[in-house]
Amino acid sequence: MSHKEARLLIGGDPGSVSPELAEHLANCPECTKFQREMIALDANIRRALQHPPAGAALAEEALTTPAAAAGAPGETSDADVVASVTASAAPIASAIGGPPAAVAPVTPPSAKVIPITGARGRQHKRTSSWPGWALAASILVGAFATLAIWTLHPTDTLAHDVVAHIEHEPKSWASSQPVSPAALNEILRKAGVTLDANSDKVMYARSCRFRGHEVPHLVVSTSRGPVTVLVLRFESVKARESFHEDGMTGVITPAPHGSIAVLAQGNENVDEVAEQVQQSVRWLPESH
Amino acid sequence: MRGVRNSGPETPVSSFDGSTVGAEPGDPIIRLFATMRPDLLRFAHWLARDRAIAEDIVQETLLRAWRARDALKDQTAARAWLLTIVRREHARLYERKRLELVPLEDGIEHEGMPSPPGPDSELDSLRGAILKLPLEYREPLIMQVLGGFSTAEIAQELSLSSTAVLTRLFRARNKLRTMYGLTPAPDDSASEGAL
Repeated sequence: MSHKEARLLIGGDPGSVSPELAEHLANCPECTKFQREMIALDANIRRALQHPPAGAALAEEALTTPAAAAGAPGETSDADVVASVTASAAPIASAIGGPPAAVAPVTPPSAKVIPITGARGRQHKRTSSWPGWALAASILVGAFATLAIWTLHPTDTLAHDVVAHIEHEPKSWASSQPVSPAALNEILRKAGVTLDANSDKVMYARSCRFRGHEVPHLVVSTSRGPVTVLVLRFESVKARESFHEDGMTGVITPAPHGSIAVLAQGNENVDEVAEQVQQSVRWLPESH
Repeated sequence: MRGVRNSGPETPVSSFDGSTVGAEPGDPIIRLFATMRPDLLRFAHWLARDRAIAEDIVQETLLRAWRARDALKDQTAARAWLLTIVRREHARLYERKRLELVPLEDGIEHEGMPSPPGPDSELDSLRGAILKLPLEYREPLIMQVLGGFSTAEIAQELSLSSTAVLTRLFRARNKLRTMYGLTPAPDDSASEGAL
C-alpha cells in the first residue's frame, strides 16, 4: 500500500484500520502521525456535530414542552402524540415525557433552565420582559453548560488516563504479528492473570507503567478490527463505565481484582469484546 | 421558510389541527419516531444549515416514514432508515424548490447563529468550518460521523463508488485540518475515483 492510498483510507475513515493499512502503519511513522492527527480531529468533529448549527435554540425547542411552558403538564393525550409527529418538535418531547437522555448530551443544562425561568416568569414570558428573561436564561444556560462540561470532562478520570496512555502508544493499533505465547504469558503473569483465549489473536502485548503499577497492555485482533485491553488490577470501579474520547470508544468493567478496560477506535461497539475478555481473564490469587 | 410544507393535509397521520387520521393512539412506531426526532432534526440541520428548512424536512420525513412504515421490518434499523429519508428529502427539497441560495456568511451573520452554550470556542470554529464545507463534502461527513453510515452505505446512497466517497471524506477532513494549523495532506488525486 502506498502512502497516498494509506492517507486516503485514513482521511476517509480515521477510525477504521484494515489489515493492509495496519501493515503499512507499522512501518510508516509519517502515516501513523497522520492517522493520530486525524483521529483527534475526528473526535472534535464528532463533538462539534452533536450541537446543531443553531446551537441551543434548536435543541432547546426540541426538548422543551409547550405544555410545561404553559403550566399545564400532563394534559397531552395519546392523540396528541400522533399529531405531534407531524407538528412542531416541542409537543413530541412533551408527549413522550421529556427528552430522551441519549439524544442531546450537552443540552440538559438548557432543559434545566427552562423550568427555572418558567416558574418565575411564566406569566411574563411573552410580554415586554422577554428580552430580559432571554438574557438571564442565556447566562444561566452558559453557566450550567460550563459547570456541566467542567464536571463531566473526564480529565481526571480513569477513562481519560487509559485513553491518554493508549495515545502514547499509537503503533500498538497497527501491530499485525501475533505475540508469542511465552511473551504473552510472562506479561500476564507479572500482573497476576492468565488468559483463557487463543493467543494468536493478541497482536501486541506490553507490560506498561500505569498509575504507578505495571499493567498488561494488549491489542487483540477481532473481526471488527483491533481492540485494546488494559488489565487494571489496582484500579477498582464501582460500575461499568462506557466512554468515548479522542476518537476511541471504550468500556471499563469491574473485575474480581480491579477492572478491565477495553477500547476500540472510532465508534465500534466493544461491549461484546469486553464480555469475552471478562470471561477469558483468570485472576491468580497468589499474585500481588 | 417555516410555513413551507411538502405534503398536503391529507396525510394518514394527522391533520395540522392535531386531529388524528388513520393512526392508532399510542402506536409504538409513533413513539419510536418521536424519540428519534431530535436526532433527525440535528442531522437535517447540518445538511440544510437552516433550522426552519430542517424542521420541514423532518416533518416530511416522518410523514413518508409513516406511510412506508410497513417497510420497516427491523425497528433497530429505524434510525438509519429515517436518516436516509431525511437525506433524500433534503435532496428532493432542493430539487423541487430550487431554493434561493444566500451566501453562507450572510446567512450565518444575519441569522446570528448563536454558539452552543459552552466555553469551547475551538469547537465553535470547527462548526463554522463544517458549515462552510461544500455540500458534496459536508454531506458524506455528516452521514458518516453523525449518522453512523459506513463508506459502502454512503456510496450506495449517494450513487458513488466507495473510492469516491473516501476521497470526499478525505478532502472534507483535509480542509478542516487547516483550521488546526495542520498541514493539509497532499491531495493529488486527479479525480474522486483515482487511487
